[in-house]
Amino acid sequence: MLSVALHISLQGYTQNLCDGVFRGQIQDDLSQPIVGAAIVLMPLQEGQASDSLGNFKIENLCPGKYQVRVQYVGYNDVEFEIQVDGTVSRVIHIKEAIKELNEVVITGHHDAAYTEHSNNFVQLDEKQLAESAGKSLGESLKEVSGVNTIQTGPGIFKPVIHGVHSQRVLILNYGIRQEGQQWGAEHAPEIDPFVASNVVVIKDASAIKFGTDALGGVIVVNPPELPTKAELGGTFNTILQSNGRSATASGMVEGGIKNHDGWGWRVQATGKRTGDFNTPDYVLTNTGIKELNFSASTGYHKEKKGFDIFFSHFQTTIGILKGTAIGNLDDLVTAMERDVPQYTSDFSYKISEPRQEASHNLLKLNGHILKDRGEWRLQYGFQNNNRKEFDIRIGDLSKIPAIDLRLNTHTLDGEWETLHSEKRTISLGINTMVQENKNIYGTQRIPFIPDFTSITAGIFGITKLYFNAWTVDLGARYDYRHYSVKGYDFKNTFYNTSFNFNNISATVGATVHLNERGTLNLNLSSAWRPPHVAELFSIGTHQSAAAIEYGLLLDDTTNEVMDINAVNFKTEQALKFVTTFQQTWSSIAFDVSPYVNYIFNYIYLRPVGITRNVRGTYPYFRYTQTDALFLGLDFTGTWHAGKYLKVIPKVSLLRASDVSNNDFLVFIPSNKYEVAVRYDKPAVSIFRNLYIESKTKYVAKQNRAPRVVTVREINEAQEQHTDPFNGDMSNFDFLLPPDGYWLWTVAAGASLKAKKVQYDFRIASENTLNQTYREYTNRFRYYADDLGRNIIFSLKCIF
Amino acid sequence: MKNDQVFTRGSERFFFAVLIITLMGFLEGCNDDDPKKEDTPELITKATLTFAPSGGGSTVTVTATDPDGEGVQDITVDSPINLATSTTYVLTIELINDLAQPSDPGYNITEEVEEEGDEHMFFFSWTNNVFADPAGNGNVDNRDDDVNYTGGLNSRDVNNRPLGLTTTWESAASTASGSFRVLLKHQPDLKSDTSDSDTGETDLDITFTINVQ
Repeated sequence: MLSVALHISLQGYTQNLCDGVFRGQIQDDLSQPIVGAAIVLMPLQEGQASDSLGNFKIENLCPGKYQVRVQYVGYNDVEFEIQVDGTVSRVIHIKEAIKELNEVVITGHHDAAYTEHSNNFVQLDEKQLAESAGKSLGESLKEVSGVNTIQTGPGIFKPVIHGVHSQRVLILNYGIRQEGQQWGAEHAPEIDPFVASNVVVIKDASAIKFGTDALGGVIVVNPPELPTKAELGGTFNTILQSNGRSATASGMVEGGIKNHDGWGWRVQATGKRTGDFNTPDYVLTNTGIKELNFSASTGYHKEKKGFDIFFSHFQTTIGILKGTAIGNLDDLVTAMERDVPQYTSDFSYKISEPRQEASHNLLKLNGHILKDRGEWRLQYGFQNNNRKEFDIRIGDLSKIPAIDLRLNTHTLDGEWETLHSEKRTISLGINTMVQENKNIYGTQRIPFIPDFTSITAGIFGITKLYFNAWTVDLGARYDYRHYSVKGYDFKNTFYNTSFNFNNISATVGATVHLNERGTLNLNLSSAWRPPHVAELFSIGTHQSAAAIEYGLLLDDTTNEVMDINAVNFKTEQALKFVTTFQQTWSSIAFDVSPYVNYIFNYIYLRPVGITRNVRGTYPYFRYTQTDALFLGLDFTGTWHAGKYLKVIPKVSLLRASDVSNNDFLVFIPSNKYEVAVRYDKPAVSIFRNLYIESKTKYVAKQNRAPRVVTVREINEAQEQHTDPFNGDMSNFDFLLPPDGYWLWTVAAGASLKAKKVQYDFRIASENTLNQTYREYTNRFRYYADDLGRNIIFSLKCIF
Repeated sequence: MKNDQVFTRGSERFFFAVLIITLMGFLEGCNDDDPKKEDTPELITKATLTFAPSGGGSTVTVTATDPDGEGVQDITVDSPINLATSTTYVLTIELINDLAQPSDPGYNITEEVEEEGDEHMFFFSWTNNVFADPAGNGNVDNRDDDVNYTGGLNSRDVNNRPLGLTTTWESAASTASGSFRVLLKHQPDLKSDTSDSDTGETDLDITFTINVQ
């Protein structure tokens, strides 16, 4: 895939003096000169950057062999050998890393899916992932414009793409749909980011190959390819962070098998320990994290066939800020009015209640074979997800989980794809999934969600057509899901029910090269998702929510579980249009993607009223449906301000509305603006890839938030037996959104190459000015400030 | 090359063998048992206040009931607390989960609270001087205000701090009526000589109407 065209013209003079010259020009794949690319000669470590015409010239070289490395951020590195003997001149073509992904987004193996074509996506490459090492997957993804998180304190980050999240964002881990308890706003994806070589965020709904649910987009966690030669290699990462006094270590070793070319293996493990995080002023007691993950894979790859076996285990224990433990509305008032949360004590690594324990096991087998008529692929995945949530409870009950769920998921996918041709490719496939969710007995509480078994089957067809400057892709799929549900209602009485959903998804997209320097991508997709059982049957209070939630199928007054045909339920369906325009001038490049996502029958928790039980007063929320509109724009630019200097602005804008009720939606990320100034120098004495970066981020206040009904107003109304909402059924929040805030991050890094080992150092400071702020989409904003300054030191050894 | 061919075929067989074994394991793992019913020891659906006159006489009992637990139905109180004037009463509080069977361990919540007395405390507040003793309006607003944590073994916890499952009250000399609020806080690791009604989590919070006649 790496298309490096080398035009060689050797003008040889046999000379023994060190007056050799290596010169040439760096060009992109459209033969336009690239300014500021780094050319390094090894073993000399001598480097130069290409000038404003893309030219370079390295003089006074002794005759001999040199290794040349060409680097340019956002482009693939190019390495080759030259023999210097007089003057050597070359035109070196480098290829944009992202362009390559236009063709291949989900890499299963080296000759992966040609039709897996997505128009609107952003990639976090290995380098960017390394710069966010130590953070969770969700937090790392905040680097992508258009991606935010719904956060529950410092440890739980749920990715939000273009304003939608949870069941509306599909996560593919090693090609398998990640199936955990995604329904909960405080349930983060159970994936170790160190398993990925890159992460791709697809911002449209075009990736229909993987099934339903991608209403907002898809996050693709791509593994590195397995080695095929018998060479041992690996990496070792250590990350230390001051906030939370955390240490993370991750190691990976990979190799092939001697005399058995094609076979490769890899083992990898990550451990993380974090204590209580802190705000600029106080400790966030009980926010520590413990994590231990490992994975192993082996596989065999030859030109025409290959297979892989992959196993991964993820395990985490996350403390939930103790001050968020509240019993009723009065407790919420006092919690919100405190300057410092209740239970705040000195720093500790101790994790007590409330806390979550989650583990996720994935076993994946996949194989592919290339025949005359095309390529056949088969993959099977087994996922075992366990989640336990511990609350502060009476007596010994604190020791047993209040929620204890086990979710087993089997997926079997088959696909056939035509050979890559100049005119078109076609891919047809089938996906099946069997899922079983069980409440583990012994929680001594009525389960929040019931047990269920679901069976899902889908078929799809995708084609990609090529006409001159245009590439058009079309796809459609049909899915069927059967649910069989067994649970206990509010009276602790058994019920069981079953029902089905089915629907069609479709996508149409086009990419056109407007001219040599500009590309326009257009995509219109329609996607649907079957509702999650949590949205239909939930009952009870959530960890630190101070609200009771009722599913869609519970009767308004009696709470009895109703038949799905008795309620006016319609499946959620999105129509999303995304267009991305990319343009490059001599020193400026940018891409801008406006989008519109209209979601019909959008399911959300709507505040309905207040209810009293012996513990006091609670507001209650009911899952309801409406039509929602998400309008937004993402912008990323790069300005090569100098030889080594770059300015990178990023903007994410979003407006979301509840169309049916002419209202705002809750927890919609506010507008974000960011400017990074980065100085990259390929070589300074013994150091390579030296960089210094300053990043300033401004997060605006969310002005499009629902009205505020304070807890005091609710309480007073309740005492006077009046309706705190005055019959107004629109959305509300207990507090106004917090003010906008600025954050300043500085980072610096360099590589050092010893004989066989490369060391990458990085030091960074986040929230450098130690500012006190609260983030609207952090669920802890009612209780505590966000994190104070964090100094990060990381060391990566590559061998 | 030939060697490689053999090896490839071997690897294919290996792949399919692993696939079949895994699929078998998965089919075996599927079972269709109904979930077992949980005990629900934290659910309180009934709180009974019993005012027993210490000098003899008729006992006053009021009950607050929440018929549907976590459901939307509001709590109901069967009658106001009707006390005689100038009478000393010993108040005992009983907490029951009526959704459970009396034989279930989760039926009587009073015992749970008693066992964990050093983490729990009842606070009380009232209006319109319905009591002659204690004076004032209760200790919800100010912990140090007067409440008589006396009258029974479970009036105080193991540390001799107030618990309040049993308390003593003397009604006012003249007729009065107002409200009487009972608040139970769960204060794990927080209960101290100064912990107040804002400390910890609320386990129970009910306001009754009270008449002294």
